[in-house]
This record gives sequence, structure tokens and C-alpha cells, in this order.
Amino acid sequence: MGLLNWLEMLPLSVWVHESPSIWAQPTVMTFHTMGMGVLVGACWILDLRLLGVSRGIPLSAFRWVFRAVGIALVVNVITGVLLFMARATLWGTAFPFLIKILLVVASASTVVPLRKYVMSHGDTGDVDSRARMWAMLSIAAWAAAITSGRLLAYTVAG
Amino acid sequence: MPSIVSVNVEHLHLISNHIPTIGTVVVLVLMTIAFFRKDEGLKLVGLEILFAVAVLTLPVFISGAAAFQKLRTMPGISSNAIRLHQDVAIYGFVWLQIAGFIGWVALWRARRFGRAPKGLTIASFLLTIMSLIVMGRAANLGGDIHHPEIAGAATTATDFLQAKISNIMVNSPWAWPSSETVHFLGLSLSFGVLLTINLRILGAMKKVPFSAVHRLLPWGMLGFGLNFITGMLFFIGQPGQYIDSAPFYWKIVFLVVAGANFLYLTVFRKAWAGNDSPNWQAPGIDKAMAYVSMFSWLVVLYCGRMLPFIGHSF
Repeated sequence: MGLLNWLEMLPLSVWVHESPSIWAQPTVMTFHTMGMGVLVGACWILDLRLLGVSRGIPLSAFRWVFRAVGIALVVNVITGVLLFMARATLWGTAFPFLIKILLVVASASTVVPLRKYVMSHGDTGDVDSRARMWAMLSIAAWAAAITSGRLLAYTVAG
Repeated sequence: MPSIVSVNVEHLHLISNHIPTIGTVVVLVLMTIAFFRKDEGLKLVGLEILFAVAVLTLPVFISGAAAFQKLRTMPGISSNAIRLHQDVAIYGFVWLQIAGFIGWVALWRARRFGRAPKGLTIASFLLTIMSLIVMGRAANLGGDIHHPEIAGAATTATDFLQAKISNIMVNSPWAWPSSETVHFLGLSLSFGVLLTINLRILGAMKKVPFSAVHRLLPWGMLGFGLNFITGMLFFIGQPGQYIDSAPFYWKIVFLVVAGANFLYLTVFRKAWAGNDSPNWQAPGIDKAMAYVSMFSWLVVLYCGRMLPFIGHSF
């Protein structure tokens, strides 16, 4: 609790939370949403390809996805940390927030095996069943992560 | 920054409300001529105009709802006549959006396989007739608004469709949060698709023929469709939150720009042009289009996210 309090009292946290400026909370949140769109959208497109949509695109052409995911992930970790700090005592003690973080971590970790697969399997035809399973898992996990995140506005007082 | 109320919405609605009726008549005429002449190109033009009319009907609908908010307290105006007009307009809007969607699918298939499938073309033709009928009725009822003496039908305000939707959206503990969630899922899906297609035009994935990424468009449409439906539920549920909001105004403007861009992405020829080859390089104008597309969607997202801050929704 002491740590959460200290975090929340940092000048930066106070600024994000209390500044009436459009660059504080509103902009940080907007970047968090844009990052989400790029991050999840790029992952889903790759997942769909692995599951058989638009087979015409060689797998190796999807390598840009990992760069997009990397950039978006950095944006969302930074903005996410800022949003957390601004209300550290609220989020740090909220069970729904813990669920959200676990789901985000789970979703993001599906990128690792997917990346390994795409990098090691050039443009060969069929996707093996294990990679398809990871793709399905990735779609479901990201959907659950977005759902739990969006519902924080209602489950935990925003 | 202008919001919708700072524009003369009544006037805007009076001018633009001809789009859904006259627009659908134009579509039907073009498609009828195309049927008789067996003119494939003209049929596609008809479907393209249908899509454009469906997109442009969004600001028509929004301006109507905004005009209602401004006029409801005016003497000589029958609120119930407006509510009735609005209810029929909601139905007409839904029919027209379905027609536009089916027309879009026909266009997408036509780009891939050379001609629009018969079934889908007939379906969009019939749906356009249905939209015209319902929109025509809405237009007629709109004319009654200044004649309260003939609009005395005994209905209470809560019997109207708009009021029922609003009641569910506001009072159900689940309706609003779950619609917001779906809105965010749809956002991510359409972002992924648009990112892929626009990056291809801008030169990423050079080995990939454009037709391969074009294959993804319906997934973008699925994401957009989810957002369109949930977005309309928010708007019909709580119009007062949006109509005098500056970010909402810009959101609608850029949605129309993005809609035009989406149509272009669906039908444009250069990337196909008989040699749908890998290594296709987009000309400068198409690269500019890709930037406009990504910029418009970012503005749409930005404005949406800013609704509670610059505007006052939620």
C-alpha cells in the first residue's frame, strides 16, 4: 500500500490524473487505445492467415506484424504504466484489474511461439495444427483481454 | 471548434434529407437500365452509388436527430410527429444500410471474379426498393412535422422505437458496457485489416499481389459493421450526449471520408489491371490515399476516445 501511495503521489502521476490539460489523461488513454488497435489488429490478421484466410499471402510476408506488435506493445506499456500510476491505489488493489493484466500477459506471450513459427517456416503450404492452436488461442486471449480491459470502466470505479 | 449545434442542423437536414430518397431512385434507375442493356459496368456504378448513398445517409440521420433536439421545445412543432418520423427513418436507415452492405459484398466479389454475382445484385436491388419505400414514408412523415393538426395520433412518447432503444441502452446494466466492449473488439479487427492493406499500398509486403490483401477486406467490414451497429445504439440511446459535441462532429466527418476511401480500396483497378502481379508498386496518388485512409481512421478513433473529455458523453 505504501508503494502504491508513493507511486500515486509522484508529480507525474498527479499530472496525469488531475491536470485539466487534454494532453494528460485523455491523450494518454487515446494512445493506449490506438496501441491496442494496432497490437491486437496485427496479431489477429496473422492469426487469421494461420487459420487459412488469404492463403495467397506467403507467411514470410507477415514479418512486419512483429515489428508493429513490438512498437504498439512499447506504446501500450508506457501509457499503461502512466495510467496505472495515476490511480495506483485504485488499480493496484482491484481484482478485475489483476485479471486484465494476466490476460494481456497471456495474450502477448502467444506472440512468442507464433513468431518462432513464422520465422522458421518460410512460405510452405499447410500450417501445422500446433500453430493453428496458438493462433486460435491468440484470437481468444486478445478478445478476453480487451473485454476485461474495457469493462474496468464499469467494474472498478473509473 | 464547431460542434453539430453550431451548424444550422435544421437546414443541413432539410438539404441532405433528399439523399436517401433521390439517391435510391438513381440507383434503381441505373440498375434497371443495366439489367436491360446487360451492361456490367453500369451495374457496378449503380452498386457504387448505393454504397455512397448508404454512407451519406449517416450524416442525414445524425443531423435529423440533432435538429429534433433543437426544435423540440419550439411552439408549433409536434414532438410526436417528429418522433414518428424518426422511428420510420430508423427503419429506413437500417434497410438502406443492409442494402449498402450487400451491395458492397457484390462489389467486392465483382473485383475479385470479374462480375457481380447475380444473387447479391438482385438482393441489393430489392433491398434498395424496400429502403426507398420506408424512406419515402419517413420523408412524408417529416412533412407533417409543421402540421401538428394532422399529427394528433394518440401515442405516448415512450411507445416510440427510439425511446425503447434508449430505455434498454440506459437502464440495462449490460447493454452499454457490452456494446462498448464489442466496439473495441471491432475497432481492433478493422485496424488490423486496414493496416495490412494500406501498408501493402505503401510498399510493405512487396512480394504479395494486391489481390491477396484485398481478400481481407470483408474482415475489415465485419469489424466496421460491429462498430457501426454498436455506435448507432449509443447514438440512438443517448443522442443528447453526442449532438453538441465537437469531437463527435469531426468523427462523423472523417467517417464519411474513411467510407469513401473504403469504397476506393474495394473497387480500384490499378492493382489488378489484368496483371495482378507481385511486385506491384502503387502510384503516388494511391499512396496518398493510403495515408488519408490511415489518418482518417486515427482521427475517428481519436475523436471517439475524446468524446468524454472534449465532449461530455458517458
